[in-house]
Amino acid sequence: MLQYIIPATGLLFTLENILWINIGVFVGSVFAAIPGLSVILCVILFLPVTYTMTAIPGMMFLLGIYCAGGYGGSVSAILINTPGTPHAAATMLDGHPLSEKGRTKAALKIALYASTFGGIFSALTLLFLGPQVARVAAQLGTPEYFMVCVFGLTIIAGVSGKSMIRGLISACLGLLIACVGSDPMTSYDRFTFGISRLYLGLDLAVCLIGLFALVEILAKAEKRLDDLHMDTTKIKDDGKITKSEYKRMLRPVLLSSLIGVMVGIIPGTGASEASWFSYSQAKNMSKHPEEFGHGSVEGIAAAESANNAVTGATLIPLLTLGIPGDGTVAIMLSALMINGLNPGLSLFTTDGDIMYAIMLGLILVNLFMFIQGKFLTTIFAKVVSIPQEILTPIIVIFCFAGAYSINNNYFDVGVALVFGILAWVLRKLDMPPVPILLGLVLGNMTETNFRRALLISNGDPSIFFSSIYCIIFLVLIIVAVATIVKGKLSEQKKAQTVAVAQEEE
Amino acid sequence: MRKRLLSLGLALTMSIGALAGCSGSKKTSWKVTCPWAPSGVAAVVSQKAAEMSTKYSEDTTLVAEAIKGDAATVNTWVADTKANDPELVFVGEGLLSITSVLDPAKMQFTYEDFAYVENLYSSIFVLSADAKLNINNISELESYVAQADEISVAVNGATGSEAFLAASLFGAMGAGDKVKLTPYQSAAEAAQAVAKGETSFAVSHQSQILETYQQKGVTIVCAFDEKALEHGPFAGVEGVGESGYPYFRNRCFIMARAGTDEEKVSQLKSLYDEILADEEVVTWLQDTMLLEVDTMSKEDVEAHINNVLEIVNEYKDIVAG
Repeated sequence: MLQYIIPATGLLFTLENILWINIGVFVGSVFAAIPGLSVILCVILFLPVTYTMTAIPGMMFLLGIYCAGGYGGSVSAILINTPGTPHAAATMLDGHPLSEKGRTKAALKIALYASTFGGIFSALTLLFLGPQVARVAAQLGTPEYFMVCVFGLTIIAGVSGKSMIRGLISACLGLLIACVGSDPMTSYDRFTFGISRLYLGLDLAVCLIGLFALVEILAKAEKRLDDLHMDTTKIKDDGKITKSEYKRMLRPVLLSSLIGVMVGIIPGTGASEASWFSYSQAKNMSKHPEEFGHGSVEGIAAAESANNAVTGATLIPLLTLGIPGDGTVAIMLSALMINGLNPGLSLFTTDGDIMYAIMLGLILVNLFMFIQGKFLTTIFAKVVSIPQEILTPIIVIFCFAGAYSINNNYFDVGVALVFGILAWVLRKLDMPPVPILLGLVLGNMTETNFRRALLISNGDPSIFFSSIYCIIFLVLIIVAVATIVKGKLSEQKKAQTVAVAQEEE
Repeated sequence: MRKRLLSLGLALTMSIGALAGCSGSKKTSWKVTCPWAPSGVAAVVSQKAAEMSTKYSEDTTLVAEAIKGDAATVNTWVADTKANDPELVFVGEGLLSITSVLDPAKMQFTYEDFAYVENLYSSIFVLSADAKLNINNISELESYVAQADEISVAVNGATGSEAFLAASLFGAMGAGDKVKLTPYQSAAEAAQAVAKGETSFAVSHQSQILETYQQKGVTIVCAFDEKALEHGPFAGVEGVGESGYPYFRNRCFIMARAGTDEEKVSQLKSLYDEILADEEVVTWLQDTMLLEVDTMSKEDVEAHINNVLEIVNEYKDIVAG
């Protein structure tokens, strides 16, 4: 390794690379901050730019977009209660409430600091432990993936709001919607109703626009304009984060970075799953779980550090085994291949300097993301003071443009609109939308791995307890469920005590 | 005075703009739509071809675009284009020979809606086996098949080309009833499944199994081609055609809209032929992408589609149940 580090730094620290990193970071931050314009779309759009470059500047540009996209999605989640990308949905739960308390800058700063920490943590893991971690990841198979999904589904209880029953109904709705399209195991169509485009399934980003962005617009349309104006005169948004808040962030940031790395190395999972797992874990372990959903700094820090910790981890299977960790990284693979580089462990000996330059570059990307983020935070924070009559139409335009741009068709615009109306109806029925999103994120993966595992074992369910990794995940699931039950019981007890006290008064 | 100056400025700007539009340039941009994943082999090769187009033509530029969606994307393309539109699209045997048989309702087009331009590449799939089985050639495979109770094969998608290649090979060996196809969400996942021991075999593109092979996780049994592989890290691996088993290559046909002037189609074909003959492209395709340059005539294309159609019709019961 050491013999490659010095030539790698020589290859990396050039003006061209630094320039491309910064362009990538800027483009990624802005793109991801706009609802509907996902990181993957941004990478696809800018990929041809890299074909005229050599491998390192090309990868630096794409990694800039990728990492900054992880942070950029949180901006709109905090400012307008609409995640710019699916993986920023967990950030929205606490980011926007904190912004509504007049601490927009602080919320953006927490997201930036946590993202940077998560990003650097995973970049260092990639640099020092890449091949070792990849070997462990290569042992995880279909039953282990299924257990990961079940663990993910336990989060539903944590994001169900006041009523667990309503949360479960919403989650089932999400799982049902995830079934739309071709059956992953047989290719037969399900719930497509003869509509040809539906056999591809529903795009998560499109659903997200409807569920979180358009529903906000519809909700605003119900109110008077005067009620929508924020009294900005009372807000003293200095963006200060107190010492105690920094202390509280430390544990969730460390643990979530670790979770992000673990999720990132599993092909097929990504930043969305990582941020939800971490958010749930942070809530379960927090001394102030009641603050979650109301502007908890721990909630923002956990979700953001996890989704950025995925960035380096997804590169581990790519660079060591040639298997892309997620869709965006799969596109980056083509940037390497067009330069004649076929990723895999053998590349570490044939082109070790290039490999290490890319890995070191990821640390640099995160540092530049931090520097740019510090400046952009001030600009972004001003969005809350834009009058609603100007901001709302802009959001609507971005939502529809974003929905169209995902697959270049108007069908998706219609889907976003349908989901907006559905979310509005559910809001009227007091049903939480977040479990629907979780169902959408995990539904397909859960079903596919469950059915495939049973196919492999010829229907024998003991396959789900067949490896040490399965047992570890099972223990985690039991601990998570026990924590949730304990939390719910103590909530009920508190409510009863308050009710008795009120009766006595 | 101010208004006059403004009007004059505006008129001047408009005139310059109009003159710029009459520069006499006849450069045509042909948008090439790949209906599969932007990270897939076809999209990457298309990008390379687009990059090279400026080297070989002064009046035609290829612009690569990837919109995943398979039949849905091609449906939209066919509905939105007409003859002579500067638009190209990729189709392969997956759409023309598999979907057309198994799920024709998904396709709102036929082969007649296209004018064939060229084949972008040929990809030869390989059968890999769990290294513990120590199967290295077709004769060892035949022995294994004869005594096995179940033959599990990892494939990309439930009804893709890989599934039909596995079904046709084991079906032709008389073991169709023993075959268990396990579908995965991507070609890379399917290739890994065999190394993890989830299945005994996998059918995959050569580049997807290369790393696992180099780490000694799998052995390469045979290639789905007429003869042994000639190039790349798997050179010498015998082709199933040598033993009389059915096979087909994975191909990517570049199509214009039916009715497009023959002269235009012919110009495009010449451009693609020049790009595909470029030494840099040939080396890159062979060494990095593990693909082959395989330019084809219209008759070759129709023969390929019919060959795959025959295989699909014969073995569809193994794949689709």
